[in-house]
Amino acid sequence: MAVDTVTAARPAAPPLSNRRKEFRRAWRSLVAAKWPLVALFILLGVLFAAIFGPAIAPLDPNRQNIMLRLADPLTAGGRNNAMFYLGTDGLGRDVLSRLLYGARISLMVGVFAIMVGGTIGVVAGLVAGYFGGWIDDVIMRLGDIQLAFPFILLAIMFLVILGPGVFNIILVLGVGQWVTYARIVRAQTLSLREKEYVEAARALGDSTFSVIFRTILPNIMAPLTVIASFNVASVILSEASLSFLGLGVPPNVPTWGAMLADSRDQLMANKWWLAVFPGLAIVCTVLSFNILGDWLRDFLDPRLKTVG
Amino acid sequence: MWTFIIRRLIQSLIVVLGVTLITFVALQMSGDPTYLYVSERATEAEIQQTRVALGFDRPLHEQYLKFLGNLAQGDFGNSLSYKRPALEAVLEALPATIELTLFSMIMAIGLAIPLGVFAALYRGTSVDGSIMTMGMLGQSIPSFWLGIMMIMFFGLQLRWFPISGHVPFIMPLIQGNVVQAFSQLPQALYYLIMPSVAVGFYSLSRNARLVRSSMLEVLGQDYVRTARSKGIPEWAVVIRHALRNAWLPVVTLIGLEFGFLLGGVVVVEMVFSWPGIGRLVFNAINQRDIPVVQASVVILALVFISLNLIVDLIYAKIDPRVKL
Amino acid sequence: MKPLKSLLLAGAALLALPVLAQAAPPDNTVVVGLSAEPSTFDPAQISSRDNANIAKHIFATLFTVTYEGEVQPYLVDTTEVSDDGLAYTFGIKPDLTCDDGEPLTAEDVAYSFNRPADKSLAFTGNTPGFVYTTLGFKSAEVVDDLHVKINISARTTLALGMMSQVYIHCKDSYEKMTVEEAAANPIGSGSYKLASWDRGSQVVLEKVKDPGNFQTIIWRVIPEASTRTAELIAGNVDIITNVSPDQVGAIDSSGTATVSAVSGTRRIQIGFNMTDAMAGQPGAEEIKDPKVRFALQYAVDVPGICTQLLGMACDRATSLVNPPNGNPDLVPVPYDPDMAETLLDEAGYPRGEDGVRFKIKLQGPRGRYLNDANVIQAIGQYLTDVGVETEVELMEWASVYQPLLRTKEAGPLFFLGAGGVTWNPLYDMSLFATPEAATNYAGWTDERWFDDYKLALAAPTVEEARPVINRMLKLFYDEGPWLQLYFQPDFYGVSSRLDWTPRRDEEIELFNASLK
Repeated sequence: MAVDTVTAARPAAPPLSNRRKEFRRAWRSLVAAKWPLVALFILLGVLFAAIFGPAIAPLDPNRQNIMLRLADPLTAGGRNNAMFYLGTDGLGRDVLSRLLYGARISLMVGVFAIMVGGTIGVVAGLVAGYFGGWIDDVIMRLGDIQLAFPFILLAIMFLVILGPGVFNIILVLGVGQWVTYARIVRAQTLSLREKEYVEAARALGDSTFSVIFRTILPNIMAPLTVIASFNVASVILSEASLSFLGLGVPPNVPTWGAMLADSRDQLMANKWWLAVFPGLAIVCTVLSFNILGDWLRDFLDPRLKTVG
Repeated sequence: MWTFIIRRLIQSLIVVLGVTLITFVALQMSGDPTYLYVSERATEAEIQQTRVALGFDRPLHEQYLKFLGNLAQGDFGNSLSYKRPALEAVLEALPATIELTLFSMIMAIGLAIPLGVFAALYRGTSVDGSIMTMGMLGQSIPSFWLGIMMIMFFGLQLRWFPISGHVPFIMPLIQGNVVQAFSQLPQALYYLIMPSVAVGFYSLSRNARLVRSSMLEVLGQDYVRTARSKGIPEWAVVIRHALRNAWLPVVTLIGLEFGFLLGGVVVVEMVFSWPGIGRLVFNAINQRDIPVVQASVVILALVFISLNLIVDLIYAKIDPRVKL
Repeated sequence: MKPLKSLLLAGAALLALPVLAQAAPPDNTVVVGLSAEPSTFDPAQISSRDNANIAKHIFATLFTVTYEGEVQPYLVDTTEVSDDGLAYTFGIKPDLTCDDGEPLTAEDVAYSFNRPADKSLAFTGNTPGFVYTTLGFKSAEVVDDLHVKINISARTTLALGMMSQVYIHCKDSYEKMTVEEAAANPIGSGSYKLASWDRGSQVVLEKVKDPGNFQTIIWRVIPEASTRTAELIAGNVDIITNVSPDQVGAIDSSGTATVSAVSGTRRIQIGFNMTDAMAGQPGAEEIKDPKVRFALQYAVDVPGICTQLLGMACDRATSLVNPPNGNPDLVPVPYDPDMAETLLDEAGYPRGEDGVRFKIKLQGPRGRYLNDANVIQAIGQYLTDVGVETEVELMEWASVYQPLLRTKEAGPLFFLGAGGVTWNPLYDMSLFATPEAATNYAGWTDERWFDDYKLALAAPTVEEARPVINRMLKLFYDEGPWLQLYFQPDFYGVSSRLDWTPRRDEEIELFNASLK
């Protein structure tokens, strides 16, 4: 419904030869808008932590020492008199190291979940939109069923059954997203199906597969990218909520959401660092994805105002 | 229009069947729930006896068909843990959740429109900046966190709002105690504020940004410029022309919004001890109380479907471009 | 501008609202915050601790267990035991009444015992499932108006204590009700009656007779721990259960409430699963070796876990029996990782090149016992430190972990807390009544123990069984199926306006609570 209002599709495919020009234009727009640039740098920082976190983390994120639990930031202690720059958590684990390792898992959950949901949704939407008829009906009814089901209940139900685990979280959160993509892609495909260049590809004898994935898909990437960037943000938040309900990742896997959820017992005891650092990490990352999504939407197609 | 409604109703039937099937399969996959309903020292014979009594010894398709047969008569079976009709338990919890979702929806939409309009009208100023910053923040804070922080700050430190709990409004209304319902309405609202902020803040933020951008777009349109050039006062332009068009995308969201807000309800009901369906169904899933889970998802799906139908009908009324 | 006006109005309304004062409980009311909600008030169905705590105020019992852990008569006046110990004849006090107004007679008592045992009704509560299996309950019969005879299948010193858990309710009212009606309409004989039950929210009890200092007891359901603590500090709730040890400081410094800690009777342990279900799992064979089991006792710093994670100093358990009923000669195994390593070397499990002796999985629930998730993870670290690489797996209690326990498939190491009592060591030991017992989750089969258990149970008094009990506990200490941990401390948040002493056995008893 929300997305049906977005059906105003772009008139024609942009010539791919101008890619470099496009990039330059994008960069200029990014610099001009300032905040998106900041967001981009924050995300690059998070990405850096995600890739190199294990290499730069000062300590083993799972090494416990309950004698050193809840140590203030900048406390030193333990076997090698190691420095806990951001303090320790309720089991005496180093918060900084967990935060760095957590970047990897949190980002992975966010991005992979979108890839799972996006892939299912895009394929379903393309197929539904291109073929129409009963296939379309079946796919869209499946989508209706899922939308009528408060997503969190579905997630809870499956996580209770599958048990906690990074892979299961990605799967559940990903599957929860597909309808959004399917609906947009379907609407776009419906309108593109009749466009001249699609007709032309078909007339030239391209296979159905080729028409769908080589001709139509590239032309609907713009709204998809925008939605994906907003979605990563909401998936990271959902992961935190599931951690709160005890359905997140296993306790030895550090994620920002789980760290934040675990910190709530210590809030009253003024152990602020347990909440503030993962909280800041989440807010900054989610905010950056949202800001970048905003910019991307304006940049790619100002008419996509209602998305997200 | 009637064909539209009838078609939608048939589709809804399929949706509800699908929802029950998914729930059934999911909960059955999770293993034999019998152990949750026998005592700690039960013997193997007692366990088997309970399994038969609960019907878990039958083949899956048989269990599902039996469930469908009963469902057709409006019977979801008895709750395994509460030992009473599951539907009764769900309908008892539903009003509290409806109160919470409705109120957060009213807030998420009712506050979003003026905020978005202000931000658009004062584009680039500090008004715009602070509204949009709040909007951005609102979309990056997990609801349980917001809830706990509000409890600590507004509940415990400042003592502005009750920390947790619920005063019913819809329930006495249904039971016919209209006087009682309205006399406790202020209390009910008072208890509603913090939980519904926790549920609705994300949506409020998103909607405010949505209204702002569509408002900006509308303000640039020809007919608005024409109206302005005719010397019509600015507020009239905003209300008569701009606002009317700017809030259309928000209306289309109402139906989906409800589903989305329901999603936040589970967590927030935990934090604020709200006696709603979210907590009920969360406990029921953990207890493998299949009848209660089934009844909850079916009722929620029905509420969701009918709300969407109503929204579509309203939308067709207010937007002349849409034909049913 | 219209939107501005409405915004201002909304703001004004918001500011005006706090004028509606939050009502702190009045003087004749005590409010208890529980973490889980009651599901039924049918005396034959009640099974959870929170549920039973409320029920205790509605239903009286033949006997009660005092704060000191002794069984005392309550509704009962006289007790006669047959020579073979299989028949108990009780004379109940005259002039007792039911909530429905009828006099409470032997007929009601017999009915209260027989109804939960009615197989056709398939009750699953604590009374039929736990009490009756432990008691060996056979039947109850009316002798005359004030005398009732209860028959059991084997002599046991546990009888009176077990009977103290059977809720006495009123025959005439229950015979008129369906099972569904009975779930919501308790008709008891205790000093309070159910006044209202807002499901998911609260249960309100009204006083009908002594004992009890408060006219009204409100049990509020507050699932989230931080919210419970906030309500207590704000003065809206008088007693809360399951206070997280990390919030103790905040409550104590609030000025409106303090934390009462008691050393509870729940026995926390790591079980060694030796059943065939574990075959093929890493570590399963190793822990069948009693030497390995004993070596691992040295690896875990139990006092450290208590002070750091549970917020209270504790003595390590020496057996499954609550003090002071244990074997006084047994000394808690100290934390000595070097000793653990030496013993493991001697047992034939040296560290490999990677420093690992063997791998093993430790399973446990999260959110079931005090700070369980952290304790389990910490133990995993301690075991890993001595070369037993431990993978910790935390599970949801009700739906995932409990079924695993029931089918004896949890493990090879599994974390568990078993409720205990102080009035009889045999109660605590009854977890291992037979090798097949449902609660023998470890699949322990040592004949020496199970032969002795029969001897101990058959002894006319506990004192006479003492030598056997001590011998058994020594065996349990040396070669038992548990890695001994601690007796779980319980933390209750108590409002400063209230004078109330918590019990050790997790029961919340409000009859003696009063305003300061």
